[in-house]
Amino acid sequence: MAEWLFEILSEEIPSRMQKGAMEQLKTLAETHLQEAGLSFTQVRTFVTPRRLTLVVDDLPLQTADRLEEKKGPRLDAPQTAIDGFLKTVGITRDECEVLDTPKGKFLCVTKKERGQPTQEILPRIAVSILESFRWPKSMRWGDLSVSWVRPLRGFVNVFEGNVVPFSYAGLIASNTTQGHRFLAPKTFTVTNFQDYAEKLRRHFVILDWQERRNLIQQGILDVAKDLKPLEDEALLDEVTGLVEWPVSLKGKVDAHFMNLPREVITTPMRVHQRYFPLLDSSENLAPFFGVIANVETPDHGRTIVTGNERVLRARLADAQFFWKQDQKLPLDHFNVSLKTRLFHQQLGSLFEKVERLVKLSSKIAQKVGADSSVVTRAALLCKADLASQMVNEFPELQGIMGRYYAQNQGESPETARAIEEHYWPKVSGGAIPDATPSLILAMADRLDTLIGFFAIGISPTGSKDPFALRRAGLGLIALSLNSYFSLPMTELLSWAYDGYPWSELSPSLLKNKEEAISDVWKFLLERFKFFLRDGQGSPYDHVDAVIGVAHTNPTFLDLVLRVKTLDQLMDGKDGQNLLTAYKRASNILKIEEEKDKKHYEGQVSADHLTSSEEKALFANLSEKSPLIQEFIAKGNFVQAVQDLATLRPFVDQFFDKVIVNTEEVPLRQNRLHLLAFLRKTLHQVADFSKLEG
Amino acid sequence: MKTDFQTIILKLQEFWSLQGCVILQPYDAEVGAGTFHPATTLKALGPKSWRAAYVQPSRRPGDGRYGENPNRLYRHHQYQVILKPSPIDVQDIYLESLRHIGLDPILHDVRFVEDDWESPTLGAAGLGWEVWAGGQEVTQFTYFQQVGGFPCNPVSAELTYGLERLIMTLQGIENVYDLTWNDPNGPSPMTYGDVAQQMEREFSAFSFEYLDAPMIFRHFEDAESMCTLLIHKQLVLPAYEHCLKASHLFNLLDARGVLSVTERANFIGRVRALARQCCELWMENSHG
Repeated sequence: MAEWLFEILSEEIPSRMQKGAMEQLKTLAETHLQEAGLSFTQVRTFVTPRRLTLVVDDLPLQTADRLEEKKGPRLDAPQTAIDGFLKTVGITRDECEVLDTPKGKFLCVTKKERGQPTQEILPRIAVSILESFRWPKSMRWGDLSVSWVRPLRGFVNVFEGNVVPFSYAGLIASNTTQGHRFLAPKTFTVTNFQDYAEKLRRHFVILDWQERRNLIQQGILDVAKDLKPLEDEALLDEVTGLVEWPVSLKGKVDAHFMNLPREVITTPMRVHQRYFPLLDSSENLAPFFGVIANVETPDHGRTIVTGNERVLRARLADAQFFWKQDQKLPLDHFNVSLKTRLFHQQLGSLFEKVERLVKLSSKIAQKVGADSSVVTRAALLCKADLASQMVNEFPELQGIMGRYYAQNQGESPETARAIEEHYWPKVSGGAIPDATPSLILAMADRLDTLIGFFAIGISPTGSKDPFALRRAGLGLIALSLNSYFSLPMTELLSWAYDGYPWSELSPSLLKNKEEAISDVWKFLLERFKFFLRDGQGSPYDHVDAVIGVAHTNPTFLDLVLRVKTLDQLMDGKDGQNLLTAYKRASNILKIEEEKDKKHYEGQVSADHLTSSEEKALFANLSEKSPLIQEFIAKGNFVQAVQDLATLRPFVDQFFDKVIVNTEEVPLRQNRLHLLAFLRKTLHQVADFSKLEG
Repeated sequence: MKTDFQTIILKLQEFWSLQGCVILQPYDAEVGAGTFHPATTLKALGPKSWRAAYVQPSRRPGDGRYGENPNRLYRHHQYQVILKPSPIDVQDIYLESLRHIGLDPILHDVRFVEDDWESPTLGAAGLGWEVWAGGQEVTQFTYFQQVGGFPCNPVSAELTYGLERLIMTLQGIENVYDLTWNDPNGPSPMTYGDVAQQMEREFSAFSFEYLDAPMIFRHFEDAESMCTLLIHKQLVLPAYEHCLKASHLFNLLDARGVLSVTERANFIGRVRALARQCCELWMENSHG
């Protein structure tokens, strides 16, 4: 049993790709080892900005022998055929065995495929891994034809303490690697993983991603002293991928910048400079930041801190200038610039979109009984900041600047808030607004975008979604599930469609309203499946089953409740048994309906019920079916499903005791009707045929 | 160690000269970046080896601030290096050049941070990093993957030092106009402001206030037709120069704010088409 250590040294790997690479390396190694017939106990992978490392524990020294039987021609085959076979397998006629089969006697030889030494297999696996690795973006370099995320610089390939050489990309694998680029540039040799990890540490490299992350997190806390960093997991992850030897330092922000809005200060810090903004005990932004360097310096980081403070000062000086410039004219004024900014070539300018949003959101506001004056004012101003200098420089501040500028010019708090929040949810699973005007405007924006693009035939295909319509769809679904109002989607889409001046725009392709709405609705239902799977873990088939029976114009809230109750039902034994019963019933019905060339609707005649089990089932169905229907209509899915579950014992007993296909025709037909009645009852809750069980 | 503007340039010239680079002069037409110099754009195509280095004054009309912003310039200076094929130790050579001009990578925490480069007007793209020194981007480091829409084979490494930022970091100052241009203790010390501030003021006024848009539109059309004609005549270098002119005229119109989003995309497409044809002609005649 032996250990395999494989390191891929390269130039700096983009931070955002590192974790994925670590996972991919693990999967690839496992697959290739299994394919080669090599067993192992553990595969671990590591990543730093400059290296990807694999260590596999307890590999055998060689693969097991394999017996392979090679069948030749029949004994009575022409001599040439026999000679040919003997030549290929490389033995004489006497060494051949004879295989007796029902089809005759055949020449045969059992060849022993000897196991291969692992050290001969590993170089092949290493090269296969390098060749089959897929980066989100890769490149070529020099005059080589290979590609990698950045140029490769070397390989460590050590098995059981010995170098297992191979060559790739003009490099020869060895037991030599490098530590930190600046702090320990000299090469060193390694014998195994433990030795490797320890030596790396001595050469200023923390190999383990999680350890580096913990060090950074702790380091920032240490320099923050009585302050604390603004929580930002994504930033922590990113910085972890930027350093091999994290050293935390603290810088200052000039006091005269501190009157800028908080986001204006933290955006250049976080997004552009990867600093950690620090907060005081009352959660206010403090005039300090944490920064992670990749080096220990003789001046204890003084030059680094001075440099970083200088860069931040320049950025904040710009921001301060934009803050003043942008507010010289009222926010409405920026709408003028939106007239020359396209929303989409065939869908008009951004300003025209704003005009549509004003109308659409006002209509929605009236429908839900909200104050439409707030909504329309917010709609009119919601895109204005896109023309501001600040958002031009820091696009991440869209909406946020709009809110500040609106506040400062005396707009109502609800209006200002809706300007910012109409972009929510900002990420999948992100917060949705908790104010009606914000919700209405956020929904209107996405409705307008989705119906517009789908109407002119633009929809996401495969990995291509240049207008982020999938995100808009998911956002719209999340917004629809707010706790204030719930509206049927198709009606909203119809309003949105009518908001476009189609004859003026005259796009090269235009779908009619029904088709456009149906396309968006189908697309939204697909998104909805993702949404529910990721959100509450509902399997796709549950969503399909609910959509299969939902009335024509459901709201997402309605659908979510239905799926949730179905999830609960199917989690328990009642649901699974009902599903089994449903499948039996519908199988029988399918066969018999075909045979009889008729459709059984469920008109059971009480006179033809003979056994106690079928009587009981009929009685219960007759009692519960209308109740279930009523509960569904009232939106009380929980009660409907509970009633459905009470049917289970009667269904079970029916199938236990009653034979449907009896000789007596009236009885048989009546029983088929009873099954159809059961099917119909179950369908009130969900289309059970879509369930996978 | 001396850190004035011209000494750093001289040191970079010296360093890259020793690396076998042809030391060239700036291209004598307005360009937006050192990449546009034919010694980079065209030479990056084709099979032949090539190493060159030069200073390129680069005009970005939209960044003009009347000489009042401490960091933004209508015209800044790039030090451009192209190495084809990219040497395996190009990162190490680059870091050595920083040490040569007195920038200690440890003291300044030099970092390679992902930044893929793309020039829509040239139809060029590459992968690489922005190089940080003390949190300041001082160099764009790119492995060219395609130029003019053609794949680069072999691949060149392009190093673009932003001279103002780099030297501001070395001198530890915050306002570009305070940079010492020559020896501050010499007989006639000059700052960056002394040398360049008037240009910043006047060109900002030109491009933001007095630029005659219809005239520049015409100039653009002229440059475009001339370029097309020269391509037909198989004169790749003059043709490419007119492509550069068209590109700069587009930058002027863009800075003047007279282009709508569609028009802007349209103009970029027109320049890219010219660049692509020039590159194609260059490739056909295997000048590479």
